[in-house]
Amino acid sequence: MKLALVGVGGCGTRVVDQFVRAEHRTGRSVTNGNVLAFHTESQPFDKTQTLTSDQQVLLGDTHPAVLRRDTSPPAPHGEQTSQPPSGSETLTYTDVPSSESDQATSPTGTEDSSSNKSDPDSFGVGGDPDIGAQVAKADRPEIRRALDRIDETDVTATMLVAGLGGGTGSGVGSLLLDELSSIYETAVYALGVLPAGNEAPIRALTAARGLQTFVPRTDSMFLVDNEAWRQDNSAIADSYSSINKMTVERLLSVFGTGERAGTPLSEMRIDPADITRTLNLGGVSTIGHSTMTLDTQSVGLLRRVLSLLRRSSSSVSTPVDATQIKTLISQAVQSKMTLPCEITSADRVLLILTGPPDTISRKGFETGRYLLEEKTETVEVLAGDEPVQKSTELTATVVLSNVTSVPRIDNLQQRAVAAQSDPDADTSVASSAHSQQSYTLSVTDQNSTQSHRDTQRTEFDFGEATTDLDTTDSPDNET
Amino acid sequence: MKLATIGVGNAGSKLIDQMLEFEFETGRNLCRHALVINTARTDLAKPQHLDEDRRVLIGDTHQKARGHGVGGDAKIGAEVAQTDIDEIRRVFDDVEIHEVDAVLVAAGLGGGTGSGAAPVVIDELQKMYDEPVYGLGVLPGTYEGGRPALNAARSLQSFVTKVDNFIAFDNDAWRSRGQTIEQGYEEMNEELATRIVTLLAAGEVDESEVGENAMDSSDIMRTLDTGGVSSIGYASTDVTPAKEGLLANFKHDGESQSESTDAAKIKGLVRRATNSRLTVPCNVSSADRALIVFAGPPDVISRKGVESAREWLEETADTVDVLAGDDPRPNSSTLAAVVLLSNVTETPRINEIQDQAVDAQNKIQEQDAVREQEIQSLITDEDNDLDPIV
Repeated sequence: MKLALVGVGGCGTRVVDQFVRAEHRTGRSVTNGNVLAFHTESQPFDKTQTLTSDQQVLLGDTHPAVLRRDTSPPAPHGEQTSQPPSGSETLTYTDVPSSESDQATSPTGTEDSSSNKSDPDSFGVGGDPDIGAQVAKADRPEIRRALDRIDETDVTATMLVAGLGGGTGSGVGSLLLDELSSIYETAVYALGVLPAGNEAPIRALTAARGLQTFVPRTDSMFLVDNEAWRQDNSAIADSYSSINKMTVERLLSVFGTGERAGTPLSEMRIDPADITRTLNLGGVSTIGHSTMTLDTQSVGLLRRVLSLLRRSSSSVSTPVDATQIKTLISQAVQSKMTLPCEITSADRVLLILTGPPDTISRKGFETGRYLLEEKTETVEVLAGDEPVQKSTELTATVVLSNVTSVPRIDNLQQRAVAAQSDPDADTSVASSAHSQQSYTLSVTDQNSTQSHRDTQRTEFDFGEATTDLDTTDSPDNET
Repeated sequence: MKLATIGVGNAGSKLIDQMLEFEFETGRNLCRHALVINTARTDLAKPQHLDEDRRVLIGDTHQKARGHGVGGDAKIGAEVAQTDIDEIRRVFDDVEIHEVDAVLVAAGLGGGTGSGAAPVVIDELQKMYDEPVYGLGVLPGTYEGGRPALNAARSLQSFVTKVDNFIAFDNDAWRSRGQTIEQGYEEMNEELATRIVTLLAAGEVDESEVGENAMDSSDIMRTLDTGGVSSIGYASTDVTPAKEGLLANFKHDGESQSESTDAAKIKGLVRRATNSRLTVPCNVSSADRALIVFAGPPDVISRKGVESAREWLEETADTVDVLAGDDPRPNSSTLAAVVLLSNVTETPRINEIQDQAVDAQNKIQEQDAVREQEIQSLITDEDNDLDPIV
């Protein structure tokens, strides 16, 4: 379905940028240029590749508490600037696959990222969501003007993307949601990224408060949990790039379904109304995903030539066994969701099966759907398929809407309460972790940018080799 | 019979399309008017045998549908049809109702558009016309889950009370291993289209010179007049057309001998039709009325066979109201027997769907009752120490 994407803060900006890139790469058209990014500092904008200057909105020019990168003296609200070390906001530095374009668009970029000033929370609103909200209030006319650029008639819904640990994401995001729901008749969703356990406590507090503010203002809120997705024994910063990719891939599997040019009409198509109905309950949603590679080896050369001659709809002509499809669907719901949760607490469920049309067994599909109904203990399961010709992969994507039993959120709230009741301890922890973490960041930056560059292109493969970048598929990246 | 046909929703539209195709392939002329109604613009493009102006999009101005379907919600399906009823009525205006004997409304009962919008359409048709309105409904399979079962159980009630007869088709009875989704639905639609068209196309040529054995539209309508739910059985056999005139003549001479084998064949065909997969499995003896149509070359339809088949069905269906007649198709290479069991009252699948629907409804109500509270408790901490940002 057509979706307008509004990113706010560093994390939101990056996810939106990556989403648009992924649309191009996979030949799906979801946003149609209905994309905006809001931030209180300009650097993350410089790192984006797809956003036009029109789509980048810098807020807080007139607010005294907003610290710009080019202003050397520290902001008057000194406490805030020193508080939060890097969190999910550090995505900026590991996330950008093309350093060439960085240098082209931002001459100061490299310099900044190796200095202490790279802590994203030192600039903009300094990690303070209340300042973020103030800034957004003051700049309301600017925000409204920017939102005019989204053509509501062109989209079925709008989604706000924000890192909830950040001051801009949570603070400005809250106000943006108010604006979005008052201007638009259509559904408003949000995607929020929750900070990991080893990020500063203040970020947990911001995120818990942000969650409380966002959820009542959206038709549904997708969450991604950094804690669940960060790689063990490595610097957090390393994980963010892969978390972003995972997030974008799953979002696109859901909202990009049926938006591929030249897709044959499927029998069990997912209509945009199926998605909106699944989501319109309010509350928190999460996405599971599982992919299997189809055994193309068994299809001999002769058969492949024959199928070419017959102009067969697909290169893979062996139907996949019903049991395999059932297993795939069951894996999708048992795998790590964007936000791990108790799956029986789901209110509604959406299942999308993406793959070559002649491999999707009806029986497998139906028993898989039934299995979902049993496992999630809900009768509201909508399911459909998305035929992709010549694909060598079969993917099951499962959306659990309004999950209410989420240990990760309870944990976040406990940390938040602790941080709120003992702000001093928090500050000391934060500042001691501060320099060390920034150091780790700058060191890992060079290497990880390089290595992620390789995986990035391969992991994100929807099966249709649309660009040269997609052809280097390595088995390690398959789930 | 001559029909005006209306497909509502995706399944209904595909069915009408398939009926038109079968008609075209077999040289029949049953559907004098065909129309499809849908809430999803994309699905409206699927039928191949309908002109652009015979496709009606409803709900494109409805806030929750906007031309993108109704998301399986029968309530929205009904709402949308209600809102756009003028639009629907306008298209009916083109239907010259005096040209047709009856109207057939086809829909899938598991989805939102078919189950919700079709009953609204039927209401309107009943208001506008005196001609009987028949329903053709596809029941969801067990594995389609609770929501479709609930849609179907509720919609079935509306359908059966509003239509003059409801012909049911059970998805579960036609599920088989090894099908892809695409094939599965295509095969089912073909099976159903074959049955419905072979049955209802009988008597389409009223001034047929074939005479007294031919089935009449009024016979079919009389059988369907019972109301309730009906099921259709079907069996066919290849009849090799006489290749040489001499042999045919010879056959004609030795009539008494071939007559008895033909008679056995005909009776066997009807048994097969009744005992094979019915469109909805049912206890045959619970039928109120029954009717057999033999469609094929007239010279292979043995009178003796027809009579003994009729008697057999009378006994099996435990009703004296059994009509049998021919639909002569001189150029056909198959002989088909279609058995219509009208107003069958013992259909296990419908009971199952109702049970599944009751469970589903309870679960949905439970979820509705606690939803707000659960969301609130999820986003607030235990002691409510945290405050929202704005």
